[in-house]
Amino acid sequence: MPPEATGFSGAASGGSQRQPGRIGWLLLTPLIAWAFAFVVAPAVIMLVYSFAHRGTLGGVVLGFTLENYAGVLDPVYMRIVIRSIVYATITTLLCLGAGYPVAYLIGRSDERLRNALLMAVMVPFWTSFLIRTYAWVTILKSQGLLNSIAMQLQLISEPFEMLYTPGAVVVGLVYTFLPFMILPIYSSVEKLDGALVEAALDLGAGPVRAFSRVIIPLTVPGIAAGVLLVFVPSLGIYAVNDILGGGRVDMIGNIIENQFKGNARNWPFGAALGTTLLVSFALIYWFVSRRQRAETGDPGERVLRGGLP
Amino acid sequence: MIRSATRMLVTLALALGLVTPLRAAAAEELNLFAWSEYVPQSVLDGFTKETGIQVNYESYASNEEMLAKLMSGAASYDLIQPSEYVIEALVKEKQLIPLDHAKLPNLKNIGKEYWNQPHDPELRYSVPYMQGTVGIVLNTKKVKDPVTGYGDLFQPRYKGRIVVLDDALEIVTWALAAQGIGFDGVTKANLEKARPTLTQWLPLVKVYDSDSPKTALLNGDVDLGVVWSGEAAILIQEQPGNFAYVLPKEGAHMFIDNLAIPKGASHVDAAHKFIDYILRPEVSRKISDEFPYTNPNVEARKLLSAEQRANAASYPPGNPKLSTFRDIGPLAADVDKLFTDMKAKSGP
Amino acid sequence: MKLVTRLLGVWTGFVLLFFYLPIAVLVLFSFNQSKLNIVWTGFTLDWYTSLWHDTVLVRALQNSLIVAVFTTLISLVLGTAGAWLLYRYRYRASSVLETLAFLPMIVPEVILGVSLLILFVTIGLQLGYTTIVISHVTFCFPFVMASVQARLAGLDPALEEAALDLGATPLQAFTKVLVPYLMPAIVSGGLMSFTLSLDELIVTYFTASAGTRTLPLEIFGRVKKGLDPSLNAISTVFIAVTVLALLITEMVRRRNP
Repeated sequence: MPPEATGFSGAASGGSQRQPGRIGWLLLTPLIAWAFAFVVAPAVIMLVYSFAHRGTLGGVVLGFTLENYAGVLDPVYMRIVIRSIVYATITTLLCLGAGYPVAYLIGRSDERLRNALLMAVMVPFWTSFLIRTYAWVTILKSQGLLNSIAMQLQLISEPFEMLYTPGAVVVGLVYTFLPFMILPIYSSVEKLDGALVEAALDLGAGPVRAFSRVIIPLTVPGIAAGVLLVFVPSLGIYAVNDILGGGRVDMIGNIIENQFKGNARNWPFGAALGTTLLVSFALIYWFVSRRQRAETGDPGERVLRGGLP
Repeated sequence: MIRSATRMLVTLALALGLVTPLRAAAAEELNLFAWSEYVPQSVLDGFTKETGIQVNYESYASNEEMLAKLMSGAASYDLIQPSEYVIEALVKEKQLIPLDHAKLPNLKNIGKEYWNQPHDPELRYSVPYMQGTVGIVLNTKKVKDPVTGYGDLFQPRYKGRIVVLDDALEIVTWALAAQGIGFDGVTKANLEKARPTLTQWLPLVKVYDSDSPKTALLNGDVDLGVVWSGEAAILIQEQPGNFAYVLPKEGAHMFIDNLAIPKGASHVDAAHKFIDYILRPEVSRKISDEFPYTNPNVEARKLLSAEQRANAASYPPGNPKLSTFRDIGPLAADVDKLFTDMKAKSGP
Repeated sequence: MKLVTRLLGVWTGFVLLFFYLPIAVLVLFSFNQSKLNIVWTGFTLDWYTSLWHDTVLVRALQNSLIVAVFTTLISLVLGTAGAWLLYRYRYRASSVLETLAFLPMIVPEVILGVSLLILFVTIGLQLGYTTIVISHVTFCFPFVMASVQARLAGLDPALEEAALDLGATPLQAFTKVLVPYLMPAIVSGGLMSFTLSLDELIVTYFTASAGTRTLPLEIFGRVKKGLDPSLNAISTVFIAVTVLALLITEMVRRRNP
């Protein structure tokens, strides 16, 4: 059997692809089926629910009404959406600032050190997210670790209020999402041509210019991916701010949660909020990946540079 | 290499007791859906030991979480543990199976005062599990002035030292009570009256926590608050002399958590057996030992220690003004919106 | 640029300190005598021994591991196949398919959980291991796919050609040349998958049943009662076991470059 018929030939050089034959489509069916069953279908259901009426005991009464979407636009909730965006932005910027140097170091290290550092970054990820967050309560509370040490060292005379503040929420968010920023950027940095970096750093441009003019622009795909992987999920967060903010820093995630698991028992409204967010995310992702696609034709090549496929 | 890795993973999966779920299908089961950490393991084990019925304990952290899962029809539960106002709604919607009192001889142990509550006057659909109140807890080392009600508590001098439940219905009801409106007065007309009170109160709150408000009190991050009586009772047990519990004079919420059998239960008989088992004084007492709420079982109360009986949070002395919550139907969405709005405006 | 490296090293040190501070507190307090997890009162191993008798917690751990193993296996298959197919063939639906596949990765878990619950209820699928695994795979396999796609881009096509020229069948070329090449990406994607599944809470809340509670669910229920150090103990055990597993994987990788 000629190799071409099975698609197993070496013709896919430099990222060019072949047209799928019957086998090509056949092999893709599981993926299509999965995407349809577990991504498209639930989204459609959520969409239908967003136009329904609120059921007495929660749940929905199918029908058609736009009141749920009207609710989404209500200033009460808009204020919270804006707050969520602010926190997400701050978190993303802090993660970027704190994470880029780390990612750079890891990406430029030799294999042994790189693997060790990657493991070091990943291992805390391996513990229960809840317990990690509660550990921060122990650290930040007025009789907690930091305050006790500071008082012992006589740096302060009274406990410094850290817990149940917006600052604590930001600490928790950055803590939760920093690995999501470090990994994609590291991936981008690792593919950097060593010679290029050496040249940039050696040819008289100071490290600042070398970074800003050469290195950072080359790692933009990684940065973009990191930003997306931090910003978007942090919009939907509700547990970290609930625990570390003393329940005072409600975000969009909390509102959605409230509709399904809280007092409101208003599924259609939750569905409307969810659908709005889902559509927003899908659009953002699609636009970002389209722009990247315009730059390089090959999805693998893009991911190789640390960006989105 | 893939083959050996796959083999390793599959062996691992099997070794980890993949067999277990298959085995459990054989014995009879009871699907209990209750508040998290509200039914002691010793009680479940005792029941299984005596009847051979395996109890699957799934938990939730709010009535609404329970309703969401229950009404979605996703799982079949045999017993649920709703609060009194939810029982009222469930009965209205015909979602509960009436109880066969003939199968519940121990029902007579329930105190008389629980037989005439508005949500289920003849205990036709539900059996009280535990009762409690929502009241004021004070760290007596820090709070020296008398605090007898919501009005006394939400004062500027306590700003940033208060913890309250993260519960829209509770807080709105307190705000209305402080203006003299009864607990059955949560209506659309009255709702807006809560707004000015909440505008005044909420900026003083440091922590909203329905799950474990005692944590903030024990940590010393707050000095007083309005919490579940069980939480206050635990505080009093942990640090006797440091904490006091006071029922607000404007009116306090008396909640009754009940056991009920939802429509669609598959093990109705086992459910009855479990309810009757819980109603035994010596079993009920075990529950009290772990959760110092008010035990509605008068026979069980006789078995408690003097210390437990003396805990003011569990068994409040005197004749306080107590009321249960009523089902408010679709107004719940508006209550939530009001609370969300007020919280957002008063917060950081 | 020694100075630059030095500075980066110091900064990385700080970040790692930040990462491990709560972990250190967590581990330390697992040996604390006081039940209240607030003040250090003395050293004890009681919380570890209590874990042994805690059948509910152990059962939950079993469930978590079973789910994670199956999730990882299915995610590896779907993710690797998806990555390879999208690399090899130019489908018209490529970009749509990619967006769909990666969507669950970035959607808030509350929405994912609720919509999957609604789906399962609508099609009448009883909650249990199947539903949990399905929900986990849905947001785990994109990680495998991304990982494998990145690795594929660096693939030298001459490799496969050589294998075929030397008499290998297409299937042999796949299993003996391509897959070993992809192994690092498969392993890292698989590890991510396994971890995400093990620690998953919110989506699992909506798609689990009474008999199939996972460890995070169980911890979630207990944390509400108060910070009992046995939770610290089980977390410490967790960390220890996973670090061990990582070290073993690393040693295995060293032997198969």
